[in-house]
Amino acid sequence: MRFAGARRRWKLVRIVITAFYLSIGWVLFSGSFTVFSIVAGLFFSLTVAVLTYDAFIDESESSRRALLPSLHWGGVYVVYLLFRVYVSSFRVMVLVFRRTMDPRIVHFRTRLRSDVARVALATSITLTPGTITLELDDDHLIVHWLDSRTGHSKHAARAISGGMERYLRRIWV
Amino acid sequence: MIATIIGWSLICVGILFGVVGNVGVLIFPDVYTRLQASATCATTATLSVIIGCAFLVELGPMTGKLIVIGLFFLVSSPVSSHIIGRYAWKREMVPWRRAWDERGDVE
Repeated sequence: MRFAGARRRWKLVRIVITAFYLSIGWVLFSGSFTVFSIVAGLFFSLTVAVLTYDAFIDESESSRRALLPSLHWGGVYVVYLLFRVYVSSFRVMVLVFRRTMDPRIVHFRTRLRSDVARVALATSITLTPGTITLELDDDHLIVHWLDSRTGHSKHAARAISGGMERYLRRIWV
Repeated sequence: MIATIIGWSLICVGILFGVVGNVGVLIFPDVYTRLQASATCATTATLSVIIGCAFLVELGPMTGKLIVIGLFFLVSSPVSSHIIGRYAWKREMVPWRRAWDERGDVE
């Protein structure tokens, strides 16, 4: 089999990355820093990683930035997302009382490349009140927009996902 | 003291959004718009309560756990409304539109 060494190395890297994420989860949920706790956490994350690395990280997913996103931009993105969620919540609250909504289905495409980033974009659009992603097909999004201001797909994409897409491109490229 | 005030006001905001979301579910016209109202209710109300609780507890492991719960909630909460909306879209339900002469847009 060709590239057997490279495959074996890639398998090891996948196991290590999975164990890394699992042990972060262990530390956060156990909340204790005794030696026994840390050693047991590392042991069990390695065991679970050896069993499940193939489901976490696909063999073809070999671009580095998709596996190790830049976390500082992730923090900025979470704060920005919370801001957007609260702003649009107040808009939806006004719409509930004044009943002036103009719902519409808009279609647009995203420029994000990796699958994780696209799923994150669709999830963020659904999380923001007033927009729900109905379908994500490769780079094509179908979005139900409660308070639509335009039917032009380019302007709709800018209004719905412009800022989010800019930050997500920095996180996952 | 200030943290207590911020925490309780965030929890009150959460209650307010929960009530408004439920009113929206009752008065909106079709499945998509009702879904929007219920999604607002679910995300913003729950997020506000979680952030408010993070302000109310003392700084420590519990704060970290609340932040982790909030992050997992950010990932998992939109899935249900997306699945319901996708089902309605696959069933070819036509979304409710405002009458043509009442639309306020400029195309």
